[in-house]
Amino acid sequence: MSTAFTTESGSLRVERLRLLIQPAAVLVLVVGVLAWVFSLDLDDIEQRSINARTIALLTWEHVQITFVVTAIVVVVAVPLGVVLTRRWAKPAAPAVLAVANIGQAAPSVGLLVLFFLFTKQTGFWTAVLPTAFYALLPVLRNTMVGLGQVDRSLVEAGRGIGMSASSVLRRIELPLAVPYILAGLRTALVLAVGVATLAVLVNGGGLGVLIDTGYKLRRTPVLVVGAVLSVALALLVDWLGAMAEQLLGPRGLR
Amino acid sequence: MSFWEYVGSRWEQLLVDSYLHTSAVVQTTLVATVIGVLVGVAVYRSPIGSTVATALTSAILTIPSFALLGLLIPVLGLGVRPTVTALVLYALLPIVRNTIVGLSTVDPSVRDAARGIGMSRLGVLTRVELRLAWPAVLAGMRVSTQMLMGIAAIAAYAKGPGLGNLIFSGLQRVGGANAINAAVAGTLGVVLLALLLDAAYVLLGRLTMPRGIR
Amino acid sequence: MSQNEVHSGTGVGRREGRPDDRDVASGGSAVSGVEIRLEEVSKRYPGQALPAVESVTMTIPAGNTVALVGPSGCGKTTTMKMINRLIEPSSGRITIGGEDAHSLHPDQLRRRIGYAIQQVGLFPHMTVGENVGVVPGLIGWRSGRVADRVDEMLDLVGLDPAEYRDRFPRQLSGGQQQRVGVARALAADPPVLLMDEPFGAVDPITRGNLQDELLRLQAELGKTIVFVTHDFDEAVKLGDRIAVLGPRSTILQYDTPEAILANPADDTVAGFVGAGAKLKQLALLRVRDVELGEVPTARVDEAPEDFRRRLTDGRSQFGLVLDARRRPVRLVSAVELRGVTSLRNAGRPVVDTVSPASTLHDALEAILTDDEGVAVVAKSRGEYAGVVGIDTVMATIRALRAEHEGSADEETPS
Repeated sequence: MSTAFTTESGSLRVERLRLLIQPAAVLVLVVGVLAWVFSLDLDDIEQRSINARTIALLTWEHVQITFVVTAIVVVVAVPLGVVLTRRWAKPAAPAVLAVANIGQAAPSVGLLVLFFLFTKQTGFWTAVLPTAFYALLPVLRNTMVGLGQVDRSLVEAGRGIGMSASSVLRRIELPLAVPYILAGLRTALVLAVGVATLAVLVNGGGLGVLIDTGYKLRRTPVLVVGAVLSVALALLVDWLGAMAEQLLGPRGLR
Repeated sequence: MSFWEYVGSRWEQLLVDSYLHTSAVVQTTLVATVIGVLVGVAVYRSPIGSTVATALTSAILTIPSFALLGLLIPVLGLGVRPTVTALVLYALLPIVRNTIVGLSTVDPSVRDAARGIGMSRLGVLTRVELRLAWPAVLAGMRVSTQMLMGIAAIAAYAKGPGLGNLIFSGLQRVGGANAINAAVAGTLGVVLLALLLDAAYVLLGRLTMPRGIR
Repeated sequence: MSQNEVHSGTGVGRREGRPDDRDVASGGSAVSGVEIRLEEVSKRYPGQALPAVESVTMTIPAGNTVALVGPSGCGKTTTMKMINRLIEPSSGRITIGGEDAHSLHPDQLRRRIGYAIQQVGLFPHMTVGENVGVVPGLIGWRSGRVADRVDEMLDLVGLDPAEYRDRFPRQLSGGQQQRVGVARALAADPPVLLMDEPFGAVDPITRGNLQDELLRLQAELGKTIVFVTHDFDEAVKLGDRIAVLGPRSTILQYDTPEAILANPADDTVAGFVGAGAKLKQLALLRVRDVELGEVPTARVDEAPEDFRRRLTDGRSQFGLVLDARRRPVRLVSAVELRGVTSLRNAGRPVVDTVSPASTLHDALEAILTDDEGVAVVAKSRGEYAGVVGIDTVMATIRALRAEHEGSADEETPS
């Protein structure tokens, strides 16, 4: 039973099915929507948005936002999770988790807009930073849960055979927590790719540009291409996350 | 104008937006619960059915909300209809998944005994299985509600109701006197309501959880 | 299943249970069960070469307890579940009280057949009382009548209704849960009771107690009971008849326990009966078959000094303290009574009692673990009946041995 946001189904069967079907669905979506839209008789405005160069550029921007956000999240959340599970820092853990929880209860669009209004900046980083804050919680929480579930006797055994605290962390605790961290990472990826569609609101680029243009100029083909490509990219990114879980998890636990 | 002055002068509008936001989220959660539980009941006995239902609903959740909203606009127009549809779709996965898990973890011997003493299939489902799965379903509803609170804010983009309107009006009036105030009020309002709803779920859990399995 | 109506209330006057003979069916008046007939009943699963149950034909007389024994996987549970159609037979006919089970809606059928299983399967979200009241509720009894029935049933299985009615299953021990399971199975007064290893998951002492309780209940109620077990000793203890089943539920032997012990039909049955078949016959003798001893008793509110005087005057080594419902609660010696203020906590508690329906084997075990070398016998609902001492058991063993030596020539060795 899940009590937190995750796109994971919690069942091995389902994960296997998705591992197979999702890339196929991505392919169908992308090929389908592009074939459809290029077969249309597009007017000038539409042609300005729907051409190979623009689409490739916006997709690339979207991918960049997603992966930079994810990289920030990993670099911040995993060490923070490690620190907060050390004995001397444990009292601070509930407070940090509470802040992160509230961060995630906040609407992503609100964080984005607020960050823009306060900094008065637009562009790539205005989109990336609040998104990273928003996507922090899953990785942080999963890192803490993952480290917390490591059997205490293993840690003691490690210390007992003469490992230092840091090598116990590196060689026992972190490897055993990897499946949890990867699950959090996948959630962060999905959140990032989703919030990246909103980057257009702060002039951050990405496929949201097509959705926004199509909506504001009442050009449905542009809107649909932007939306469908965002969906395809999200499914692809989620699939990558699932692959990472499959491939990077420690073999002994698989 | 300070933030509190802003809140003081607009509190009626803020209350209306809060009410609309909450009501949209609560109602769509309820609709999603009805659909989700029905789907769960329909598929939980079949491994293939469960797999397909969970895979589909989790794929839905992967879709960026801005993109789903964008896709719904050409079909359903603006305002309440795309909002409700999107919110219901997003709420499905946690509820479907938890219903299936809740129903399939009911002790087989309890089911066997219920059939054995002559309860009808419907009786077993409504009087035993769903009661025992209720904590799981409720947990799913709770996750869904939390998610929807944030997603509903984006619905204002498609002229949907709720606190998102404050955020977008802040965005449109960038540089204006109350731009930041509006966006802060909208964002904080969502956080506050989300916390209140979460507390309401804890209370609801206390009140509705069968005592014997608490 | 119209015989159903004959029963009810007849048990009260016969609480002491069946007379010496084990054949209740012939006893008549207490029988509320109906006859079950299986005619060439088979169960085949698609894709399996051999049927799970192959052409079983047997008659279970009204008011009898029939134990189906056999190794695990022999199809005994499948056979039983076909009676209440939790598993539908592939072919053959099952009649219950002359009525074709197939002519009824399965739910209606099951409401007239009690069902108790090893895992108990109590509904964890319902109270004990709600669990017991489910079937009466299903068949539309008024709530007042259901409530009365729940209390009656809890009392019947030895649980104080006031104390247990509003508890939840997880607050009960395994043995208590099983009692509630039996109460639930019996609540709508079904003429037939199906029990699938109901005592398989509890500890041996509790199992013995529950078996005794079942014998007592059955003496009161006279149901037709189909009891599935893989434990031959349990079958011997509980069954009026035993059906020893082989693969695909084929009946290897169907007879009284005595007959099967004395004369196993073939090597397979003999192997299943196990070594020491003769000794197992000890388990066929009941406490009620021997003369009970008497010890001085006192009510719990009597003055300790009076009781002490009675014990020393009567040269008794010890006596029993009974509570208001005449249940033995404490066992005291004269010495232990010196200087105590109340009988309530004098001496030591009576932990374990045997019932008139207990086997002598059980009584012997109780005697061997007791400091005073006696087993306290309590009637239904715990009332004091007497004691069994080691002398009594020894005398019985001697008599039994003499009897068997006399008839050894006639018996077929296995």
